[in-house]
Amino acid sequence: MDPMASAILRTASRRVVVTGLGVVSPIGLTRGAYWQALVEGRSGVRGRSAADGSPAAIPCAAEASEFTGDIENFGPLEPAVKKAIRKALKLMNRDTLLAVAAGQQALAESGVLAVTGGERVGVCFGADNISMNPDDFLGGVRACTGEDGRFDFDRWGTEGLGEIEPLWLLKCLPNMPACYLAIFNGLMGPNNTITEGAVSANLAIAEACRLIEDGLADAVLTGATGTTLRPFNLMHALGDEEFIRDCRDPQTASRPFDLHRRGAVPAEGAAAFVLEDLHAALERGATIYGEIAAASAACAIDASGRADGRRSLARSMRECLERAGLEPRSVGHLHAHGLSTQRMDADEAGAIRDVFAAEAERVPLVAAKSHQGHASAGSGATEMAASLLALRKGRLFPVLNYEQPDRACPVRPVTVAATVPAGDSFLNLNLTPHGQASCVAVRAWESN
Amino acid sequence: MLRRRVVITGMGCITPLGHSPGELWPALLEGRSGVAPLTLFDASRFPVRIAAEVKDWSPRNVGIDGRFLDNAPRQTQFALAAGLQAIRHAGLPSNRVSPRRLGVYLGVGEPFEDFTRFTASISDAARGGACADDAFLSSALRIFDPETEREYEPHRPATHLAGLVNAQGPVLNCIAACASSTQAIGEAARLIRRGEVDAMLAGGAHSTIHPFGVTGFHRLSALSTRNDDPRAAVRPFDADRDGFVIGEGGAVFVLEELEHARRRGAEILGEIAGYGSAQDAFRVTDSAPDGRGTVLAIRRALADAALNAEDIDYVNAHGTGTLLNDRIETIALKTTFGPAAGRVPISSTKSMLGHSTTACGAIELAVCLMTVRDAVVHPTINYATPDPQCDLDYVPNVARELDVRHVLSPSIGFGGQNAALVVSRFDESSRSAAAQRAA
Repeated sequence: MDPMASAILRTASRRVVVTGLGVVSPIGLTRGAYWQALVEGRSGVRGRSAADGSPAAIPCAAEASEFTGDIENFGPLEPAVKKAIRKALKLMNRDTLLAVAAGQQALAESGVLAVTGGERVGVCFGADNISMNPDDFLGGVRACTGEDGRFDFDRWGTEGLGEIEPLWLLKCLPNMPACYLAIFNGLMGPNNTITEGAVSANLAIAEACRLIEDGLADAVLTGATGTTLRPFNLMHALGDEEFIRDCRDPQTASRPFDLHRRGAVPAEGAAAFVLEDLHAALERGATIYGEIAAASAACAIDASGRADGRRSLARSMRECLERAGLEPRSVGHLHAHGLSTQRMDADEAGAIRDVFAAEAERVPLVAAKSHQGHASAGSGATEMAASLLALRKGRLFPVLNYEQPDRACPVRPVTVAATVPAGDSFLNLNLTPHGQASCVAVRAWESN
Repeated sequence: MLRRRVVITGMGCITPLGHSPGELWPALLEGRSGVAPLTLFDASRFPVRIAAEVKDWSPRNVGIDGRFLDNAPRQTQFALAAGLQAIRHAGLPSNRVSPRRLGVYLGVGEPFEDFTRFTASISDAARGGACADDAFLSSALRIFDPETEREYEPHRPATHLAGLVNAQGPVLNCIAACASSTQAIGEAARLIRRGEVDAMLAGGAHSTIHPFGVTGFHRLSALSTRNDDPRAAVRPFDADRDGFVIGEGGAVFVLEELEHARRRGAEILGEIAGYGSAQDAFRVTDSAPDGRGTVLAIRRALADAALNAEDIDYVNAHGTGTLLNDRIETIALKTTFGPAAGRVPISSTKSMLGHSTTACGAIELAVCLMTVRDAVVHPTINYATPDPQCDLDYVPNVARELDVRHVLSPSIGFGGQNAALVVSRFDESSRSAAAQRAA
C-alpha cells in the first residue's frame, strides 16, 4: 500500500492517552503535594492586606506563593534544559514561569523525549491575557514625570521609551508559554496557544488530540496557565464575574454549589500533560493515566451578548458523551467548573441535570476551585490534573465548604467526610460568562 | 476514502488600503502604499512616526448597533466588520447552516491597555517607591473603567462574532504571534475536514498602532525609522530595508465543507488545500538561521495538500522588510523549492499594508484568493537595490499577469512560530487527482 494511504488508515484509529502530568497550584508545586492537599482538604486561599495595613483591593486570594521562580521550582531537569531555563528566567512573565514548571514536570514524568526526537512533538497550550508588570514601566514613567508629579506624555518618545527593557514586548505575548516549552525542549511540532478564557484548557486539549489523531504529531504537550490575580486579569474579570468582596475567613471563601457561596476567589495556577498516540505509548512501556475519550465545545450567546451557559454546557456534555460512547450512568465522576458564584453554579448544575436527569444526584461531583480558587485558563488544566490523579488513586477528594445544599443546584458534591471512588471515567467541565462551554471525557486505560 | 474538502465561500477585510476586498485589490495591483504619518496618537516626538493605519475608520462602519463597540479596541471592531462582510458575501444567513454546525476560530492578538490611564495608575500607585501589583490595582480600579476593560480580553471578538452570527459550535481564539490568523484558519479547516462542523468563520485582526506597540517593537529594533518617506519605508527584500512599519486591520472568511457549499449553490472563491504549523525551537527573538521552522511548516502544508513544491505557482511571502526576516525567509524558500526557487514569483503584501501582526495571515489569504481568481499577482513595492542574500524573483514594483492554481502563504512570528497555508483555485478535478496520486 502507498505510504500515504496506509498513514490515513493508521491515523483513522489513533487513540490518545495521557502519559505525563505536571501541576503548579496554590496547594502544591508537585503532583504528590497537590494530591495530598486535595485529599486532605487543604485550602490554598489566604487573606490579604495592603502593605500599609489598609484593606487590599483583593481581600483574599489563592497564590502559588511557594513558587518563587527559583530554578528548583521546575522539578528534575536535564543539565542543558536547566541552563536554558535559568538564562531565560528574567524574560518570562509569571504565567509563563508557572507553565514551564508544569510542562517540564509532565515531560520528565512521561519520558517521551527519551525515545522520540522533538520534530514530531507539538505544543498546544491555553493561556490568559498576560498582564503587564507595572514595575516594568516604573523607570520610564519616572523619567517623564515633572516636579508636579504629573506624567508628561510629550516626553515618553524621547525620555521614557528608552527606559523599557528591549525584550519587554515579548514578555506580554500569551504564546510565550508554548514557545518557551518548545525552545527549551526542542519541540518542533505544531505549536499553538488558545486564549479563550476559562474554557482554554479543554479547547487546547481537544486541539492536541486532533493533532495526534490526524497523524500530525506523535505527542503533544498540552495544558494551560492562567491567573485572575494580576492587575489587568482581575480588572477584566471583574467586569464579567462576581468575585468575593469581603472575606473574614479566607479558607471558607470558595464554596462551589453551597447555598451561601458569594463569589469566585482570585487565583493562579498551571498544569500540563503529555498526550501521546496509544500504540507509541504502549510500545515504549509508558505509564498511562487515562485515555482522552472525546472532547466537545459549544457556545450559546445571542446578538445582544446575553449568554446561556446552561444550554451550551448541556449541549457540550451530550456531544462529548456521544463521541466517547459513554452513557450518563456509566460516568465515574464529574469535575465541575464550580466557580462559587450564585449564577454560574446554578447554570452548571442545571446543565448537569438536563443531561444526567435523575443520575445527577448519583454521579459524584468534585470542584478543585474549592481548594485553589479561580485561575481562569489555568483552572481547567489543574482541575483536569486533579481528576487524572484521582483516576489513578481510585478515590475522589472533597469539595471544601460544601455545607448547605442549594435547591438550585441538584447535584452531588463529594463531602469532606466521605470516601468516594473515582470510577473509571470522568468529564472535565468548564464554562465562561460569555456562554462558552467545553467538556473533555477521560477513560481509565485499564477499563478497555 | 476521500477526505472532506474545505472551500471558501465568503470573505471580508478591513485594511489600510480599503474597507473591503474589492477596495483593497486594485490598490495592491497599482502598488499603492498604505503607510503614512501616524495619527492615532501624538507620535511627533517618538522615534517612529509612521504607520499603515486603517483610514477613515469609525465603529459605525461595523454596521451594527452596540454600545460596547465604542469601548472595544480597534481590532475587535475590525474583526466584527470583516466577519459580517464575510457572512453577507457567503449569502449565509443563519437559516442556511445549522447553528450547532457553525463555529468561529480567530487569531486576534493581545489588546493594549489605555496608555494614559496606565501611566496615571503607575504615578498614583508608585508614590512610595516601588509599584507593587496590589498598589497598582487599587489605583487602576479607580482610574480604569471595568465596563470598558471587559472588552480587552483576547477572546472577546470571537465571542461577539459568535453572538452576531448565531454560531453555536466551537468558538476559539488563538495567539501565535504573527502566525496567529494563519493558524486559526488552518485549524478551522481541520475542524471542518474532520466533520466536527460544516462551516467556520475564521480569520484574525489586530492593531498595535499604540504607544505600547511602537515602544515594544522599537525596543526590539524591528521598526523602520524612515519617517521622512513613509511610502518608501517598507522595502521587503530590498538591500536598503530597515525594518517593518506597524499596520493594522482584519480579515475573516467563511470556510465551508464543499458539499455543504454546493448544496446551497454558494459561489466558491477557492480552496484551503493544505496547512502546516511548526516551531523553530530556536529563540523567542528571531528565527533559526536556516529557517528550519518555516521549512517544516511549508513541507507540512504541502504534504497536507498532497502537492509537491513544483506545483506551487506563486508565494505570498511573510516579507516583513526586516533585515533578518527577509534573509531567512529567502533561505527557507530556497530549501523548499531547490534549484527552481528562482522561477517562483514571490511578493510581499506587507510592502504596501505594513505589518498587521496577528492579522497578517488572514489579510494575505484574501490576497491569495483574489490572485487565483484574477490570474494576476501584486508587486513588492519599494524594490530598488537587490540584496545579494535575497536573490529570488520578488515581482518588483509592477503587478504581473500569471495563471496561478496553487499559492503558498507562510507566516512567521516571534517565539519561533511558523505556519503555512496552501490556497488553491477551486477545481473539481484537481484535488481528486491529488487524492488519486496519494492512493
